[in-house]
Parts: sequence; C-alpha cells; structure tokens
Amino acid sequence: MSARVLVVDDEAPARDRLKRLLAEIDDCECVGEAADGHEALKACAALEPGIVLLDVRMPGLSGMEVARHLTTLKEPPAVIFTTAYDEYALEAFEMQAVGYLLKPVRKEKLARALLHAARINGPSLARVAAAARLEPRRQHICTRLGEQLKLIPVEDIYCFLADQKYVTVRHAGGEDLIDEPLKALHDEFSPDFVRIHRNALIAERHIAAVEKVTEGQYAVRMRDRAEPLQVSRRHAGELLRRLREGIPD
Amino acid sequence: MTDAAPEARARAPDTVTFFLPDFCAARATLAIVLIVELVAFVLAIARHATQASFWIDLASLSLFLLWLGLSSSAVLCRSRNWLATMSAPRAAATALGLLLLTIALIAEIMFQTGRLWSRGLVGIASIFPTDHAGFLLRTIAIGFIVSALALRYFYVSAEWKRSIELEARARIHALQARIRPHFLFNSMNTIASLTRSDPSRAEEAVEDLADLFRANLSDARTRIPLKEELEVARIYQRIEQLRLGDRLQVRWNVEDMPMRALVPSLLVQPLLENAVYHGIETLPQGGTVTVTGSFDGSMIELEVRNPLSSVPATKERRGNRIALDNIRQRLDLAWPGQSRVEVTQEGGEYRVLLAFPYEGPAA
Repeated sequence: MSARVLVVDDEAPARDRLKRLLAEIDDCECVGEAADGHEALKACAALEPGIVLLDVRMPGLSGMEVARHLTTLKEPPAVIFTTAYDEYALEAFEMQAVGYLLKPVRKEKLARALLHAARINGPSLARVAAAARLEPRRQHICTRLGEQLKLIPVEDIYCFLADQKYVTVRHAGGEDLIDEPLKALHDEFSPDFVRIHRNALIAERHIAAVEKVTEGQYAVRMRDRAEPLQVSRRHAGELLRRLREGIPD
Repeated sequence: MTDAAPEARARAPDTVTFFLPDFCAARATLAIVLIVELVAFVLAIARHATQASFWIDLASLSLFLLWLGLSSSAVLCRSRNWLATMSAPRAAATALGLLLLTIALIAEIMFQTGRLWSRGLVGIASIFPTDHAGFLLRTIAIGFIVSALALRYFYVSAEWKRSIELEARARIHALQARIRPHFLFNSMNTIASLTRSDPSRAEEAVEDLADLFRANLSDARTRIPLKEELEVARIYQRIEQLRLGDRLQVRWNVEDMPMRALVPSLLVQPLLENAVYHGIETLPQGGTVTVTGSFDGSMIELEVRNPLSSVPATKERRGNRIALDNIRQRLDLAWPGQSRVEVTQEGGEYRVLLAFPYEGPAA
C-alpha cells in the first residue's frame, strides 16, 4: 500500500518541488497540499494522510504548532519536518528522534524519510520546540470534534477546569473538552495563567474581580460572568501577591 | 566566569582586556626579570665601564634590583583585580604609586639590613650604600622612570593586541551580518524548484544570486553610487519575490534621492532583508515594505518601513540588531558624528531611518 502524503509549506516553489519529487518516488502519492497551518489541519482531518511533510517556519500557525495539534487527532499522521536552516532545531530533532529534511531536499533522503516516518507524541514535540527555541508555547489549544479539529486562541481562554478525566476549557466561544493534564498546561502557559485550585488554572488577564467569601476564603470572578471560581487556601496567597504586583500596569 | 549572569559579568572587573598582564604568570615575570637585568647593566656600565669591579657591582645591583622587581611584580599580581576596576589612566597612576611605595620600602629595608650587617662584618660594607637619604632618593627616582616606562610598554602592547582582536572580530561580524543562511538555503530551494518548472527564471535567479553575493563579498569599506546600492536591493527583492510571491510588495519612493551620491555598500539591502525576515515572512497575508528617500541638499534620509506580526516574535527572530549595528558602525566610520540611525516601532509597524551627509562623486 502506498503512503498518502500531504505537503505543507507556505512557499509555492517549495511545495512544487516536493510534489514533483514525490511523483518520482515509488510507493507514495501526494494527496494534497496546504499553504498554511490552518489549511494543513483542515486537510489532515479531511484527507487523513499517513505522512505530513511539514515546513517548520510558517507565518501564523507554525509547523511546530501544527504538529502539536495533529497529535490531537484520533489517528495522527506521521510527521516529517522540512526546514531550510534552523540553527537550533536540528539538534533537537536528532535528540527526540523526529524525522526532518533539509531544504533543498534530496530525492534519496526524502524516499528514506518516508520509509521510516513515524508518529510523534506531544511531550517530545514540546521538548523539540523548547530546545529549538521555536514557539515554546502554543498560540492555540486544539480540541477534536468528531474528525474536525477546532482551534481556540489562547488569549480567548478564561480558564482550564479539571474534571475526573478531562479538562474543560472555558473561552470566549463557549466550552470545550481537551485531553491534556492541567499540570502540563500550567507549565506551558505560566505565568499568564495562574493556578487557583488543584483543579483550576485561570488566565490572569481575564480576572474581573477577587471576592472575599469568608475570612481567608476567596473566589475569583472571570470576565465571562460565569459562576465565580473558588480559590483554595493553598493558592490564595500566591494569587493575591501576583495581583498586587500586577496593579501598576 | 562563563556561568555568571550577564549583568554580573558587566560589573565584574574586566581582567581579560585590562592592559596590565597577569604578573602571577611566568611570561610577565620573565619580562620583569629582563627589564631589571637591563637596568642593572645600564647602571653598572654607567658607573664602571672598564674597571675590574664591574662584575661585582653588576652582581650586587642585580641582587638589589631583582628584589625590587620581583616584589613590585608580586604587588601588581595581588592588586591586579582591584586595578582592573578603574579606568586606564587611574589604574596606571595607582599602579605607579604602589610601585614607588614598594620600591621605597624595599630600599629602606635594604639600607637598614646593610647597616646592621656591616657592623659585624667589615668586608661587606663596601657593597651596601652609606648615604641614607641620597640612596633612597636615587632609588625612587630611577624606580619611577623605569616603572613608568614599563607600564607604558605594557599599555601599548596590550592596546596593539586589542586592536588586532577587535579588527578580526569586526570582520567576522560583518560576514555574519551579511549572509543570512536562512536566505541562502531558501533561495537554493527556490532555484532547485524552478530548474524544471521554469528554467529561464531559474537562470535569472542564479544570476541575481551571483550579483548579490558579489556585492556582499566586496570590501565593506568601499563606497558605491546610491544607484548601484538600490539596484542591489532590487536584486534581493527579485529573489525573495520568487519565493514569497504576492505576499511581498515593495513600494520604492526614491525618485528624490541623488543617485550619484556615494554611500557605503550594503546599506539598503540588509534593511530590506530585515523587513522581509522579521515582518513580511511572519505575516500570513504578507504586506508592503515601503522604502522612502529624501534629500534636502546636504543630508540624505532613507526610511524603510514594514508591518509586523501581532504575535510576539519568537526568540530566534529577534536577531535583527546585528545588521543594524553593522550599518550604524559603517555610517559612523564614513561620517563620524554626522550620521544617525533611528529605529521606532509603533502600531504594528517597524521603521528604520538612516540619515547621512551627501557626498558627491570625485570631480
């Protein structure tokens, strides 16, 4: 069975070249192309390619972020990054055993990479991004609705609330469920997001008010006018200190 | 040292570039011994050019002067870190003061030792001085002259070494600033793609790339007519246009500029490259770079504006200072104190303004 490949690059000549090389390689077919990250995610959901050739540098949604979001899919494709030059990325790719190709791509290397293409997981991508000094944090959170992927801009998010199994994201466009631990979200989006409870991580910029419920017991009201969120005793001190320090700006 | 935070490093004494060498090291000690022996020779020759007592005199002078020299060297070794925190003239004056104190102290000890010793042993008396005030004064005077000369020597040789290093570093910087690997490999990729789909455009792209590299490899100090400089920038634009297509638009408002004016080469192209790399490339829809030139009869002003992405730049994109610093340095080298480089960023727009005097072609 031949590999179904999606080509993602913001530059038309780069896409053309990869498509032509793919046509010359046996056992693979190019099923589509995308010129930016959003198109890439849509194409992945619609075409279900087995392998994605993904440019690291793209405006808007970068290749690294697209790859992170792809891991949300039920059956994520294998990813091979392409890059013209990135001082720090190559070492990180090697370390995390992530497939990559240098542009201009050689046909033999492309053929070999397609043979060995493998899926990558979120945590190892996060490590690559950090080591490569690319986006250390995502600009969006991705949720899956059936086979479609939905992107929520991080600046629209009010809070993450952990349930038994899932995390609920409350944002300007409503509520969604994601499958990521609160701890990892806290690490990624700190200091813009503050932990106020074992099961709640809130966006500092969207805090409307902090109310005292009883002595030593606080609740936070967010800008979305939903139910106030309870602040645990353990996190109250930290939250109040940060808000006091934040007042000047 | 390498692990220190940048601020801590800036405040710490700059012992690496300090003009006094490390007197605890063998090299500097050897230099001191040589200086001391030369002075001993000069003094011995001046006193007894032909007499038989020359060698004895030289030996006793050497012994005394080595004491002076090595003690001075020890004092400088211990106080080097402290001296390195001062400005060069102050450090030199302080070092000289320290040396004179050391010399006076050693000479005094010497004199007292000689006096104590010569009471018991008559034969030794002749090699020790007898005139207290005269001996101290002569020692200090000679010590002053020799120390001052030695300090001057160390200063000049350190400056010479530093200027060589600076020049080498400036050259490397210039090279790094000029050829951005990102641009090179992306252009290669574009050409590889065009070779089959559009061979004639690929050919043009290779020619353009060659011209651009020729301009890059020319001496950074040469001045070229503004017309040629703008042409280099247009060649760069053509190459990037192949890659970015309609995403890159450049508006050239340069009709009012004196095209015959001589300017340092690579003034405009690096600014355009920065605008593409930090601006246009990061915008999904692309944007327009505006190059505006004006001339009031004496000063030429050149402005490059580009839109910026609202998403904060990632770390790797924050490297545009090198090219700007390089341009600032070269303008300052060409017209010391008469040029200016202004950078402003507001409302999602990045703007660089260069202003420099008009210099026409030689008649």
